[in-house]
Amino acid sequence: MARARRLERKPMFAVVVTAVFFAWLYLPILAVALFSLNDKKSLSTFSGFSLRWYDDLVHNDALIDSLLASLKIATVATVGSLVLGTMLALGLERVRSRRGRVIGAVTLLPLVTPEIVTGVAALLLFTGVGLKLSMTTVILAEITFSIAYVTVIVRGRLAGVSLEVEEAARDLGCTPFQALRLVILPTLVPALVGAGLLVFALVFDDFVLAFFTTGVDPQPLPVRVYSSIRFGVSPAINAIGTLMLIGSALLIVAALVLPRLFGRGTSSLDLITGGQK
Amino acid sequence: MAVLDRRGAKPAPRSAQRTWLWGALLALPTAWMVAFFVFSMAIVVLLSFGRTTNDGFPAFATSTANYRALWNDVYLELFWRSLLYALATVAISVLIAYPVAYAVALHGGRYKNALIAAIVVPFFASYLIRMYAWKALLSDDGLVNSGLRGSGLSDGVTFLNTPWAVIGGLVYGFVVFMILPIYASLERLDVSLIEAGKDLYHGPVRTFFSVTLPATRAGLYGGVLLVFLPALGDFVSAQLLGGASTFMMGNLVQQQFTEGQNWPLGSALTVAMMAALTVLMVAYLRATSTQAQEP
Repeated sequence: MARARRLERKPMFAVVVTAVFFAWLYLPILAVALFSLNDKKSLSTFSGFSLRWYDDLVHNDALIDSLLASLKIATVATVGSLVLGTMLALGLERVRSRRGRVIGAVTLLPLVTPEIVTGVAALLLFTGVGLKLSMTTVILAEITFSIAYVTVIVRGRLAGVSLEVEEAARDLGCTPFQALRLVILPTLVPALVGAGLLVFALVFDDFVLAFFTTGVDPQPLPVRVYSSIRFGVSPAINAIGTLMLIGSALLIVAALVLPRLFGRGTSSLDLITGGQK
Repeated sequence: MAVLDRRGAKPAPRSAQRTWLWGALLALPTAWMVAFFVFSMAIVVLLSFGRTTNDGFPAFATSTANYRALWNDVYLELFWRSLLYALATVAISVLIAYPVAYAVALHGGRYKNALIAAIVVPFFASYLIRMYAWKALLSDDGLVNSGLRGSGLSDGVTFLNTPWAVIGGLVYGFVVFMILPIYASLERLDVSLIEAGKDLYHGPVRTFFSVTLPATRAGLYGGVLLVFLPALGDFVSAQLLGGASTFMMGNLVQQQFTEGQNWPLGSALTVAMMAALTVLMVAYLRATSTQAQEP
């Protein structure tokens, strides 16, 4: 902040672009939310306030099934990727061999692979080994995709845990496993909370992977929403869309803020912006 | 396993760095990634040389027919279009993202974190719903058109099914991946460099192009990569905001695996897409590593 003050003149061009950008970013979303509360079917004239589209949602059994399916998928995938991603992060952080670097690079690949490629590959794998497409296959694909996020966030936190703390624990008579459980894992809690919330939101909202790996019934929520969007725009979609936006916005805000409340240390925000060091 | 064998005979080394536990922890996630990622990618490559049996099932083979099938005018036009859309998306994203990142990083003051969070939050919320938001806004009876009609400016403009609607959707979907790396490199920038630049070159524009921009090149390259990758493979934007005339590679892939049911051809398309992206990634790695060697 001190440095920023030294740049005296604000570049008007950049400030104007930023203001327009924020309007452009939020207006479409706010319009969706506004018209979900409209009492008529119109998407351009707001005639009155009503919750009728939300009432329709509550009575739409297929949609509720999809919502429950997506919640289940996101929960299991979050737990699974937290376990695997943390193991991977711990292993990679301490195994500094060439093999470790290769494994590290491979596990980051899903982050730079377009989702459609991951989705197609998962579809081929599952049908190839004779797994029937279902919620299970969606969960398996989502875990594979999410491990990298967990690993990146946990490694960011691990980098701040000094080796000496761990060696001290060993000197005091801890077995390696005790050192891990009693000394290292507790310091990782903020990172795990942040990563868990982030992954939950990403998986819950994920459309592409779910689209390629889901069975017929129950369809994950984004897949069901997609098929209705293809037929056109409707206030009911506005309502479910608004709820999805609010839900994931809350999760992401929590993922950004909660780890900070645990005191100093890396939050997901620092990691996303690369500002952790 | 090898870790256990190699270390098992010796007494456990005291250094935490050499504990067998760390190696053992790697085993399960590594096996998972090999089974579900590496192996699945290998199947895509294998099936791209496969064929469709007479009763319509995909089967492995050693034919290059699928790749030869890609080389026809219809597909080539589609590849070219995808490339153009993705490049346009990258270019527009740079033009938006650099000023935004600059304003927030260097002039955000104490609101810096709040502003970045305000940018990140909607981008991590449902991509699908954000595409839908654009569709609702731009549709013939949407808010923009009714505003145009109401103000008497125009009888309405068809936005949907145009290339610009699709590109706009892609920018709206992925511009955050440009903002964040540029923001990160601007954050690390030593502001006294800009001041020195102003003393040397006079004028903010020359300073920007001779000091700020080169110093944040790594972030810019990273952003280009991170926007180009998903934009080239996207099919949602073209599906929801465009039509058959704006279809991209992603739509073609998706068709082969759903309506078209030609999985071997779809696999060949996927491999072709990955090959194009790998070239780009290698170029990125080379560009950033040569930069690191410069003083």
